[in-house]
Amino acid sequence: MSQAQLDGSLAAPSALQQLWLDPLHAWPAAQTPPAMSKKSPGDFIKQVLGRPVIVKLNNGADYRGILTCLDGYMNLAMEKTEEYVDGELKHKYGDTFIRGNNVLYISQQPKK
Amino acid sequence: MASISAAPSYLPLALIDKCIGSRIWVIMKGDKEIVGTLRGFDDYVNMVMDDVREYTFTPQGKKITHLESILLNGNNITMMIPGGDPEEGEKAGAA
Repeated sequence: MSQAQLDGSLAAPSALQQLWLDPLHAWPAAQTPPAMSKKSPGDFIKQVLGRPVIVKLNNGADYRGILTCLDGYMNLAMEKTEEYVDGELKHKYGDTFIRGNNVLYISQQPKK
Repeated sequence: MASISAAPSYLPLALIDKCIGSRIWVIMKGDKEIVGTLRGFDDYVNMVMDDVREYTFTPQGKKITHLESILLNGNNITMMIPGGDPEEGEKAGAA
């Protein structure tokens, strides 16, 4: 019983948690897309800029880091980059530039 | 001489536009396939997809990677199949 109350009191400040989370989501209220709406590549880029991403290259290597900038060629710059080859961490780089022709996809890193 | 009346036709990208919001199976160059919910695309057919499964076929077997949301480079896309799913294809093949 007291356990349930404890859970309830923990669940209550979720609004506060949202306040913490919202600045990261960085969507102006007017632009916030409903969950199941169109999302063009431009919208996606706006959504992931400054956030952790996984970039997969055509050669199969993964780069995980914070996306700092991106252009129309998918040239991109990342911070705190980790290079994974065959799922194994090979190197860490402070700043990385990746030429866009190598990019297979840019994936939003799921929140942990 | 009777002229052939213009049949209603779709541009290929208009068909893909109709797939927005539904599952789509994308076959890439080089033993890679991607299945996900299409959210949008642009003139280069770069695609935004959610709830993605990435299939990589290697001599060691099939490798599946799950991804929440991706921007897929259109450069390596060869074919797109609306509503398709390789798993369903296997089931149909087995039946």
